Amino acid sequence: MTEAWPDPAAWLILLPLAWATLAFLAGPGRGGRLAIPALAAQCALALWLAVSLAESGARLHPVGGWGAPLGIDLLADGLSAVMLLLTQAVALALAVYAQAYFADAHHRHEATWFWPLTGFLIAAMNALFLSADLFNLYVTLELLGLAAVGLVAVGGGTAQIAAALRYLLVSLIASGAYLMGVALIYGTYGTAAIASLAPLIDPTPPLATWLAAGLMVVGLMAKTALFPFHFWLPPAHGGAPAPVSALLSALVVKASFYLVLRLALGPFAPLAEMAAWLAGGLGAAAILWGSWQALRTRHIKRLVAWSTVAQLGYLFLIFPLLAADGLAMQAGVMQAVAHGLAKAALFAAAGVLMRATGRDTLDGLAGVAGRVPLTLFAFGLAGVTIMGLPPSAGFLAKWLLIDAALASGQWGWVVVIIAGGLLAAGYIFRVLRRAFLVAPEDSRFHPVPRRLEWTAFALAVASVLLGLRGAELVALLG
Amino acid sequence: MNGLLRSAVVIVGLSLAAAMVIALLQLPSAAVHLPALVAENLAQSGVEHPVTAVLLNFRGWDTLLEVAVLLLALLTLLTLGGGKAPAPAAAVDPLLQGLARRMLPLIVLTAGYLLWAGAHRPGGAFQAGAVLAAGAVFLQLAGLLPAWTAPRRWLRLGLVLGFLVFLAVAAALLGQGALLRYPPALAGGLILLIEAGLTLSLGLILAGLFLFLTGRDA
Repeated sequence: MTEAWPDPAAWLILLPLAWATLAFLAGPGRGGRLAIPALAAQCALALWLAVSLAESGARLHPVGGWGAPLGIDLLADGLSAVMLLLTQAVALALAVYAQAYFADAHHRHEATWFWPLTGFLIAAMNALFLSADLFNLYVTLELLGLAAVGLVAVGGGTAQIAAALRYLLVSLIASGAYLMGVALIYGTYGTAAIASLAPLIDPTPPLATWLAAGLMVVGLMAKTALFPFHFWLPPAHGGAPAPVSALLSALVVKASFYLVLRLALGPFAPLAEMAAWLAGGLGAAAILWGSWQALRTRHIKRLVAWSTVAQLGYLFLIFPLLAADGLAMQAGVMQAVAHGLAKAALFAAAGVLMRATGRDTLDGLAGVAGRVPLTLFAFGLAGVTIMGLPPSAGFLAKWLLIDAALASGQWGWVVVIIAGGLLAAGYIFRVLRRAFLVAPEDSRFHPVPRRLEWTAFALAVASVLLGLRGAELVALLG
Repeated sequence: MNGLLRSAVVIVGLSLAAAMVIALLQLPSAAVHLPALVAENLAQSGVEHPVTAVLLNFRGWDTLLEVAVLLLALLTLLTLGGGKAPAPAAAVDPLLQGLARRMLPLIVLTAGYLLWAGAHRPGGAFQAGAVLAAGAVFLQLAGLLPAWTAPRRWLRLGLVLGFLVFLAVAAALLGQGALLRYPPALAGGLILLIEAGLTLSLGLILAGLFLFLTGRDA
């Protein structure tokens, strides 16, 4: 099927690559004015793609016109469309936020290569969501990993460089494991195209396939920061400038999760049953451990970062339930979208709170309720999604997940899901409670650009209201 | 605890290696045979060498993204603090300088040859760019080229030019129905255009990975 000039899927990759390169050409600190209209256009493209998919089903784009297995195919289906929509929408909001964030005199020096790195980051994610070739996916993972490492270092502090290098090492080892798996797959089947592989892999494959699947999935889990591979995430996400933390926590970790889901539903479906329990178990451990750490930390952004560790756990709870019916997958995608919006809002709000108080600790928050009420409201609304209270998208995700667990008679997961919600309420209220304390005499507040507050608020509202329109999103998954 | 962890890592590593050896010994014969497909379609690819055909045509999409990876590696290096220190000239050795001056034309000539040869034998933009970069490193070591500080506009243009050309060709060919779908008649020329741009830019990028860093410790 090659009718598509202009194909929105292809432009969703070319456009961010182009503006990222031009932003680099424009020089340090520049590119924001280019990025925002381009991201708005990307939002329109993603929407256009989603609408055309809903009408006519999945579309294939054979790059070079060769078609798999000789060439590389791009495949757009409902799952990729949802991830693309989430990515463009969150990235646009965060770009608006970032432009105001870096305009401030104290933060201008941090911006250096923020815009080109962000452009490459988004191009990498879009290419990943659209690729249907295991080796091409490796290239997109490399692109994504390097852009993310660069962004962690954007602030330039010593602690950040250390966090970036640790992240780089984890990312490289994980990519290496994935690549080794791809090499084994190619050696066994002679192709890396997912469509050609799917019919070739049966439930009793040779040892090389088991090894390949194991290496690839473990590598991707490390990139997703699933417990016990989460150790790199809190320093990397907690230390970066707020717009970077938001991009990384809301979007980047979802990309490798998406790929695990793709593999488990596609070529590795015959092998998935055994590993599914392990993935679910690790997810449950992540929920409990991440929430516990979020309840203990003294820093605002560390709290939000540990919350990411916990919320990522929910994504992996779906694997033991995938067999049941479509419910678990809907739950996973809904959780990815809900968490993406809410976590972007939380980090954006945390950035405002830190700038208003000039401090990064929870103790410094006393009195902010009267100074930046809109931001605190945004934090609370996003918190509603994280806790999973109705009518938010987070509620819908957890409700679907519980439904799927009950339908397949696996009661144990329900306990974990509910416990995770209670723990989340605990750490969200830690922030809210302190915000309403009376400010000490000597505390000073700094004015914050209104645009920072409004973007955080818009993201938070979207994460709640999406719960009301969840049916459309789920329908897209088919 | 540390010793325990270390032995655990060793055991896991060894068992992975053993499993890998066993898996490779039992490897079945592949169901899909891509080399045959490549040979079949080589005539339409615009070049005569199968490696160049795979890299620039059949799997040109991978290559486009790989070039972005290299550019991004340089960008990340700059973000991590490369190119910040002023660059004192390296020690001057007249013998080395004389050699470098005489070698430079040969190095450029070799790069040009590798670029051209890529169409019908092993070679191409990556090799040519690597040779150019080696030339730049040689000049720096001989004290003829200072280490680089933050890249100015012209250098930035050189760094991205190859990628921009590649991207523009990919976008322009969307009109043919698909990304990078070369019309067979133009394939050879377009591939040469892309490779020429890449030779320059990859040379600068690879040189930059060295030259942006040497200013710090020198």
